[in-house]
This record gives sequence, structure tokens and C-alpha cells, in this order.
Amino acid sequence: MNDFLHDEEEFTSRKLDWGLWRKILSFMKPLRKFVILAALCMIILAATDVVYPYISMFAIDDIIQPNVTSGVVDLSKLRVFIMLYIIFMIIQAITVYLFIIFAGKIQTELAFNIRQKAFLHLQELPFSYYDRTRVGWIMARMTSDSRNLSELLSWGFIDIVWGVFLMVILIIVMFVLNWALALVTIAVVPILTIVSIFFRKYILKAYRSIRKVNSKITGAYNEGITGAVTTKTLVLEESNAKGFDDLTFDMRTQSIRAAMIQGLYFPSMLFLITLGVALVYIVGGNFVVQAAISVGMLYLFTNYVWQFFEPVNNIAMIYANFQQAQASAERIMSLIETEADIKDSMEVVEKYGTLFDYKIENFDIIKGDIEFKDVTFKYNVGEQVLTNFNLKVKAGESIALVGHTGAGKTTIVNLICRFYEPTTGNILIDGVDYRKRSMGWLHSNLGYVLQDPHLFSGNVLENIRYGKLTATDEEVIEAAKAVEAHDFIMKFEEGYKTECGEGGSRLSVGQKQLVSFARAILADPKILVLDEATSSVDTETEQAIQVAINKLLEGRTSFIVAHRLSTIVHSNCILVLDAGKVVESGSHRELINKKGAYHKLYTNQYSEDMVGKSFK
Amino acid sequence: MKNTTTNTKEKKNVLKTIVTMFKWMGRYWPLLVLSFLILYIVSYVRTLIPLVGQHIIDVILEFSDGGSKLPPFLANFIIGNSKLTQLIYAGLLLLILALFRAVLIFIRRTTSGYFGETVAYKLRNTLYHKLQNADYNFHTHSETGDLIQRCTTDVEAYKRFISDRIIEVGRLILLMSLSIWQMSKLNVDLMWISLMVTPVILFSAVYYFRKVERQFTIIENNEAKMTTHVQENVSGSRVVKAFANEAYEVNKFDGLNREFTDSDFNLIKKMAIFWSVTDFICFIQFMLIAVFGIIYASKGTISLGTYTAFLAFAGNIIWPMRQLGRLVGDFSKATVAVKRLTKIIDNEDEYDDSEPNSTPKVNGIVEFKHVSFKFPDSNEDQLVDVDFLANKGDTIAIIGKTGSGKSTLMNLLVRLLDYQEGDILVDGTSIKDIEKHYLRANVGIILQEPFLFSKTVKENIGIADQDSSSERVESVAKIAQVHDDIVNFEQGYETLVGERGVTLSGGQKQRVAIARMLLKPKPILIFDDSLSAVDTETDIQIRRALNKEWKDSTVFIITHRITTAKEADKIIVLEDGRIKESGTHDELIKRKGLYSNIWNIQSKIDFHVEEDGE
Repeated sequence: MNDFLHDEEEFTSRKLDWGLWRKILSFMKPLRKFVILAALCMIILAATDVVYPYISMFAIDDIIQPNVTSGVVDLSKLRVFIMLYIIFMIIQAITVYLFIIFAGKIQTELAFNIRQKAFLHLQELPFSYYDRTRVGWIMARMTSDSRNLSELLSWGFIDIVWGVFLMVILIIVMFVLNWALALVTIAVVPILTIVSIFFRKYILKAYRSIRKVNSKITGAYNEGITGAVTTKTLVLEESNAKGFDDLTFDMRTQSIRAAMIQGLYFPSMLFLITLGVALVYIVGGNFVVQAAISVGMLYLFTNYVWQFFEPVNNIAMIYANFQQAQASAERIMSLIETEADIKDSMEVVEKYGTLFDYKIENFDIIKGDIEFKDVTFKYNVGEQVLTNFNLKVKAGESIALVGHTGAGKTTIVNLICRFYEPTTGNILIDGVDYRKRSMGWLHSNLGYVLQDPHLFSGNVLENIRYGKLTATDEEVIEAAKAVEAHDFIMKFEEGYKTECGEGGSRLSVGQKQLVSFARAILADPKILVLDEATSSVDTETEQAIQVAINKLLEGRTSFIVAHRLSTIVHSNCILVLDAGKVVESGSHRELINKKGAYHKLYTNQYSEDMVGKSFK
Repeated sequence: MKNTTTNTKEKKNVLKTIVTMFKWMGRYWPLLVLSFLILYIVSYVRTLIPLVGQHIIDVILEFSDGGSKLPPFLANFIIGNSKLTQLIYAGLLLLILALFRAVLIFIRRTTSGYFGETVAYKLRNTLYHKLQNADYNFHTHSETGDLIQRCTTDVEAYKRFISDRIIEVGRLILLMSLSIWQMSKLNVDLMWISLMVTPVILFSAVYYFRKVERQFTIIENNEAKMTTHVQENVSGSRVVKAFANEAYEVNKFDGLNREFTDSDFNLIKKMAIFWSVTDFICFIQFMLIAVFGIIYASKGTISLGTYTAFLAFAGNIIWPMRQLGRLVGDFSKATVAVKRLTKIIDNEDEYDDSEPNSTPKVNGIVEFKHVSFKFPDSNEDQLVDVDFLANKGDTIAIIGKTGSGKSTLMNLLVRLLDYQEGDILVDGTSIKDIEKHYLRANVGIILQEPFLFSKTVKENIGIADQDSSSERVESVAKIAQVHDDIVNFEQGYETLVGERGVTLSGGQKQRVAIARMLLKPKPILIFDDSLSAVDTETDIQIRRALNKEWKDSTVFIITHRITTAKEADKIIVLEDGRIKESGTHDELIKRKGLYSNIWNIQSKIDFHVEEDGE
């Protein structure tokens, strides 16, 4: 939620990185047809832009001028003028229509391609990536960055094509018509370009620092809102407001400065263009006096000076935009190019298929024995979590993992699910290293239930079916009945068609848990991992959940990260973990008798659990 | 029928919104007027430029004897014996006009920038102020993301409107009217011809941009659907992987991605039609002017220079007309932003002028007198007839299950919430008669889920008094038993907390929050279950240290730990918002009520354990 607070200038280099842009441009390969067509449209458009004032020159020199000097009104050529004008209008309208369509096609399809590629890659990335990457960061790549890039590469591209061709055609036409006047006309263009680039650079810089302050302000709002009650209790209103004022005042100062730079930019360009016009009037006017050129030609050239304004301005702006968009490009490529450090080997893929295309026929039947053999594990950053961990679990056994936060419970679960792989040592399933079989194979046989469950938006039916996509409605209902979720689902007005809301927000915690149990039981896995939440539910729900859990564990090898006393007491074996080592193991009774770590944990933590429940 | 009523209602609302917009400008509105004044001059100067062209063609180059259309004082500037000198003077005049215009444009933009940014600056501060002063209820009922969105995006939209959009509209209207006025001086017939098609341009633009709004909504919805999918996929990546549904996810995403892309392209198709069609209409207007202009010029009704000037003026009307239509269509966006901001601005502060400002000395005697409370949006009483007394230096333990009203009771004492019946007295004074900030400065409450600021640990602990010494900070950290944890951080007290810094455990956060509250002496101190994430031993140590150094303070402890409650001077057992029983541990044990039940269960657990151990 709060991820948009982080400033997005994580990667920035000043120079354009051509290697990077080449990679980005490769996304446009399938769109080559549209690129060529759009470019063609822009060339035609540039040509019509040059021709348009030419028609006016024709009117002045060939209709008005002769009529005025001869004193006889002859409008026969007016028909030609109208015809030329209509042809021009039609070409113009059609080209405008087409170039918008083509550039739009490039823009939308390019964004589509980038997003598609990024999403596909996201599915291949291992869990460690999600652990260290904020959701918001990924979201920004999929939305604003892909949009920025595709807009720039479509509209920016055609603007450049148009601008370059317009200037080239203008210069050629002017030189053909009158080289001396052409020289005068283009005299200001180099200055115009330099000034334009100079200003654009400063404007870009100004806006960068504004964005930085802006993200700080957003952060301050966030703190002000989420910490509002804390602020009240500590009576910090005044000092907070002062800190905030420092930020907004800075924002104001910087923004005014940016407005002034921009306020200087446009008038400077305007003045330079007028300088060009004035020069054309003086030199061209003198040519007219000397009868070297017609008055229509003079009119034409004054118009042509103005026509340099837009392309120069556009090109400077796009150049600046490219510098800015480079950060977007870098971030997108960093997402797409992140190597998955957990993936199936070539041989495994050959036999079992990829993540997106299983070879089900080669999948081995699973029994459910699990063995940790000398497993050592260390997250990328931080200390070793497991050291020479050994554990043998027979098919159908249920193991409760208990211990303090950081003892390694979640790590063991992550390893079983192959969200992470052992740093050294092996995990064997039915006696075979699980890396010798595919991720798809493991996950098809594994159920994972978070008691703080993650549901997707969509209705209840769809959410349960997520466990087995091919399940019929009857199978889904069967699964719901098995975990006693059916009754509460039917109490909803729309039954199984009830929308769960984003993240399941429309269901209560207990209901969400039951739905996620149904989802797991539908998948009918041989191995089940249950990660209990610490959040408490009322006694009734608690009982329903207990029944469902017992149902769920039947006939499966299961690992439970346990927080609830009732769950723990019912498991075959309790492993008490401390600092990545099993310090005690055995049944509830055995461990209590031992009077060791479990006893202490039990008396400290779980007795509170009992007290809490004794109210009502 | 229904439509018309909503329409008039909407119109009324729009008017109200506009008034609000002006109200927020405060005393800076003259700057807006100044901007328009400058714009008027700038636009006027701009309409002179085609006339310089006319002067050059007609007067200097002698294509007509109609004379100069420039105002005399400018026409008189262009003098000289030779044509070349006159041309140079004309060029010079152009440059002077351009320079004059450039300077004015710069001043105008600076003024608008200053105006917009200053108003936005004030508005941002007001919003922040409003948010801080909004009451507890407001904050528990609103979504952070939505509020931030309003304070950033909507402020930006409002600012852009007052410093950019309004001015742009003004500029276009001024430019068009002055150009029309200049045209009317040149040739009235041709002026009317110039205005023949222009209304069509304006209306088609307004119509189009209104209409296309719907397409924007479709796109936004489709994008939201797509991003929701990504969001859920990413945050539920464990589930996706564990159920091996990667292929399904990719397929689903492709579908949503395609839908979004197509709706986006749909908009572009509509744009293509709009721009090409309006281009065509604009050029029809240009052609009309050109054709009639040619005829008039050929007949000598107007001069050649006037003809070229007309073409230039036409450009000043036709293109702005389309732009104007677009801006008018945009207007609704600003009103939406303003309406959303009004919701925050119009929210009442919890501190207002009617609040008492008395600041009596607080010693620590707290008396609840038949206090009842219910939430404003609820019919059920949250607390009923709560009545008890806490003497100075007492420790009061409050126990009860979740939802029994423990936290609410304590929130009443610091007036995060206000009770409806009964009264709470601190040293004999009703807390409703004490200034709120003062009350809170004397009654410290430590929340169960405390919020730490993204500052260093030291700054967080010292936040109530930023000048406090390192020794002071360390000494309170020691009382809160968090000093050792902090020293073990790589950067010790300088460790950055929060999203950009290290993540503290729940227990560490709670202890930092305790230390922070201990920085300044408090006659009354409340632990709102703020030791829940701390283990039992540390809990005991903290209470021991407090007893030693804060023995004069009255302490309220909400707890789940029966052992903690046992040591209190008074135990209050809450059930469904009522005091079920109260007294010392021994008294309550004798009463054989709920408390003694709990105590027995607790001992039974221990007993069980003992027995099992035999």
C-alpha cells in the first residue's frame, strides 16, 4: 500500500545507455509493420505541412497579385486553389487518422508485450525474489513504467520522425526556391536548438528534485495519517507540523523555481523565432523591392521560419524524456532479467516439462516419506538458519513445529515447499532428492495452507477450485462439505457465487480459513503444510477449524507451524526448535514430562491461551 | 424527470465547488487577477504582429495604398528614406514587440507559478493540520491510501487548475476576442465569415471530451482488474506456487492484459477520429476565409497585407477554439478533486475554540463516575456504568477478553473518545474541562500496536523532546528493557527504524514505545496491552524498573497475563463493557468469581504440568 512513497529514482544515469535501449527496442520487433507505416504517415504529414503555405503563395502570386495589378478581376484560377486545398485537407485528415491509429497500436501493443513478458517471468522467479521485493515495486513496473516507455517509444518516435523530415524538407524546399533567403531563415535554427536543449535539461533537473521532495511529502502524509493516534498520545502535533512545513516550503520554493525556468524558456524561443522572422522581412523585403522574389514567396518564407519552432521544441523535449524514461527502462529490464536461482535443471525439464507445460505422464506416484539429510540453510543475507538438520518423516505422520520467532519453523516449511532450496544437504521425498523431480511435480502433490489465508478476488467457488482447476462444481462442494465450510457458504445469499472481495476481504478470518482448507482438500495432496496464524478467532470458529484440520491431516504427511495449543497436542510428534536446531522432540506428554524447553514454552505461552479462553 | 433534478443539483454543486476553489486561494486571489491583466496585454501585443506584416507588405512594399493598419504610434515608428531602412525599422519593431511580450510572459508565468504554488503550499499544510486534528474516529474509519491520494493527486489537480487551466482558458478567450476585434477593424464581412464554422469546432470538442470520459472509466476499470490480478498473484505467490497454478495465472493475466490493451486502443481509435475530423473542420474554416479573402483582395475590397493578416488572425481563433473545448471538458476533473478534498477540509477538528483551556495540576487521582459510552455509529453500549477510583501511585490492572471494552475505557481517559454519560475526574476536575493537549501530556498511553516514525531509534525515543540528551534516552531505554537490544543493532541508537530501516520485532517496537513515553514524567501512565509481545520475564523486569523509578505515577495496565494482574493494587475485571468485579488479588480470590476461576485454571495448568512431571 505504502509503496508509492518510495522515490522511483533508484536507477539513474545521465548518459543515454544505448545497449539498454536496444534491448527495449527488441520488444518492438513484432510491431515492425506498424512502425514503418507510422513513419510513412509522418513523412507524408511533414510534406503536407510544407506544401500548405505553398498553396497560399499560389493564391497571392497567381490570383490576387495579377488581379490587383491588372485591375481586372479574374477568378478562374480560384477553382485550382480550392481543388488544391481540398486535396490537401483530405490527405491531411486521412494521414492524421492513420498515424494516430498506427502509433496507438505501437503504444498499446508494446505495453502489452512488456507486461506479458514481465508477468511470465514473475511466475518463474523463486520465492526469495518475492521475499526481498516489495509488491508495490513490481506493480509500478507493470503499470507506470511500462506505460511511460511505450508512450515515449510510440508518440516520441513518430514526433521525431515528423520533426526531422519536416526540417529536412523545409530546408531543401527553401534552398531550391531561394538559397540566399533560405540561409537567412535557417540562421536562427542552430541557436534555437541549443537554447532548447539547454532549457530542457534544466527543466528536467528541476522536476527531478521536485519529485524527490514530493515523495518525501507523501511519506510525511503517510506517517501523519498512520501515526495520527500515536501523535495525539505524545502531543506531537506542533513539532510534526513544523517538520511538514519545512518540506512543503521546500516544495514551494523548488516549484516556483521550476515555473520560472519554464517561464523563461518559452519566451526565449519566441524571441529567437521573431528574430528569424524579422531577418526574413528585412532581407526578403529588400528582395521584393529588387523584384528578385515575389511577395508570395516572402509570405511563404516568414511562415517557414515559424515551422521550425515545433520540431526543435519536440526533439529537445523527447531527448529529455528519453533520459527520464531510461530509469523506467532500467527497472523493467532488471525485473525481466533477474535470474531465477531456484529452477529445474535441463534434464528435469526434459522429463517432467516446464512450469507452464507439465508432462503429467512422466510424473512419479508419490508416497509421502520426507527426509532432511544434513540440511544447512542460510538466506542470502543474514546468518545460518539451519545447521546440519536431520529429520525423517514417514508417510502419513503429522509433525508440529514449535519454537520462538526466528527458531527456523518457517524456514523448514519453505524448504519443504521448495520455495527455497537447502544451501547444502538434501531433502528426499520417497528417498529421492526433490531436485531430481520438477517443481510442478512437487507442487501438484503438495498442499499449502496459511491460516492467515490468501484468497483471490472472485467467488467462493472459484477460490476453492483454485486447488484443482479441473474440478467440477460437485467436487468443489464436496470439498467444502468435507471441511464443514458448506453450511456457512450456503448461508450467503449467493451461496458459492458469493464474491470474496480483494484478498478475501468480504469474508471473516474464520471463513477464509475454512475456504482455504476446502481448497487444499480439493487438491488432495500427499504432503500438507499448515502455517497457523497467531490471530485469534472466537471459540465456535476455533472448534470448526479444529475439526477441519483433523479432516485435512488424515492420510497425509503434514507439517504444522503451530501456535494453537489444540493443534499441537493432537500431532504425532512435536519438534521444539531453537536457533535452527531441534532441541526436543516427542509427544505432548513426553515433552511436558521432560520439563525442558517445551515445558517452559507451554507454561509461558499456552497457558495464556487458556486464560484468554476462560472468559465466556 | 429524475435526470433533471439531479442536473440542477449538480449545477448547484458545481457553483459551490467554484466558490470553494476561490475560498482556498485566500488572500492570494489578486495574483490571479494580475495574471489575467498581463495576459490581456500579452494577447493584445500578439494581435499587433500580423499588422506589422500588413504594414510591410502594403506600406513599405507598396502593394496597396490603403495605408497601415497599425496603431499610429507604432506606424510612425517605422520611418526612413529608403525601403531598406524602413524594413529594418519594421524588423526592429517586431523584435521590440517580441521582447516586450517575452518579458510579460515571463512575469505572468512567474506570477501564476508563485500563486499556484503558494496556494498549494497553504492547502497542503491545512490538510496535514486537519488530518492531525481529526479525531480518533476519523482515523479508525478511513483508508490511509485514499487519504494520501487526496492530499497529493487531488491537490496537484487543484493547483494545476488554478495556476494553469483557468489561465489557459482565459488566455484562449482573450486571444480569440482580441483577434476578432482586430478583424472587425479590418473587414467586418470577412470577420463574420471567419466565425462561421468555429462554433462547430468548439461544440464538437466539448462533446467529444465529455463523451470520451466514459472510455477513460472503462480503461481505468480494466487496468484495475489487471493490476489487482498482478497484486494478488505477487502477494499470494506462495499459494500460486504451492498449487502449481503458474500456467493458469499466466493465461488469466494474458486475458486481462489483452482486455486492458484493447480498451486502451479503443480510446486511441476515438482520438484518431476526433483529431482527423476536427482537423478537417478547422481547415474548412481556413479555406472559407482564404477563398473569400482572395475574392475580396482580388476586387480590392481589402489589401494584400490585410489578407495575410486575416490568415494569421484566423489561426488565432480556430486552433484555440478546439483547445478551449478540450479544457472545458477537463473542468469536471478539477471539481471532482476539489470535492474529494472538501471531505477532509470540512471535517471537524477535535480541538476547537469551544474547548476549555484550563490546565490544572495533575497529581494522579483518577475517578470514573458511572461512565457509559457507545460509538457514534453503533446502538450498542460499549461501556456501561463503569465506576471506580484510582489513588495516586496505584497500579490498576484491567483484564477481560477481546472486545470487552478495556482499550475503549483507557481511550476515554485520554479523550481519544468521549463518553456520553457519567464523568471522569482527574484530581477532582472533569477531563472534559481540561485542555486536550495538556491532558495528554499528563496522561501517557502506550498503545498495543505502537507506531514508530521513520527516524533513528534515538530520535524515536526522544521524539517528545528533541533536545533530550543521549543519557536521558538511554536511561529510559534501560527502564523499558530495550537498551540491550538497541546496542546490539549494528548502528546502535542511530539505527533507522521503519520501512527504509531495520524491521523491529513486535516486542522491540512495544518497548521503544514505552521508552518514548517515559521520556517526560507522567503522573498517569496507561499500558494498553503494550507488553503483549514482550515475553513474561521482560514484562516483569519492566514493571520492576517502573515501580522503582515511577512509583508516584498512577499506572493502568491492560493485560492478558494473570501474573501481571496479581501484583496490582486493584484489579478490574471487565465483561461486555461492565465491571464484573474489582478489588485486590486476595479479595477477588475470596469472592470466588470470574477472577478466581481464571486464577484456578492458571494454577491448574501449572498443577497439570506438575502432576505430569511426577
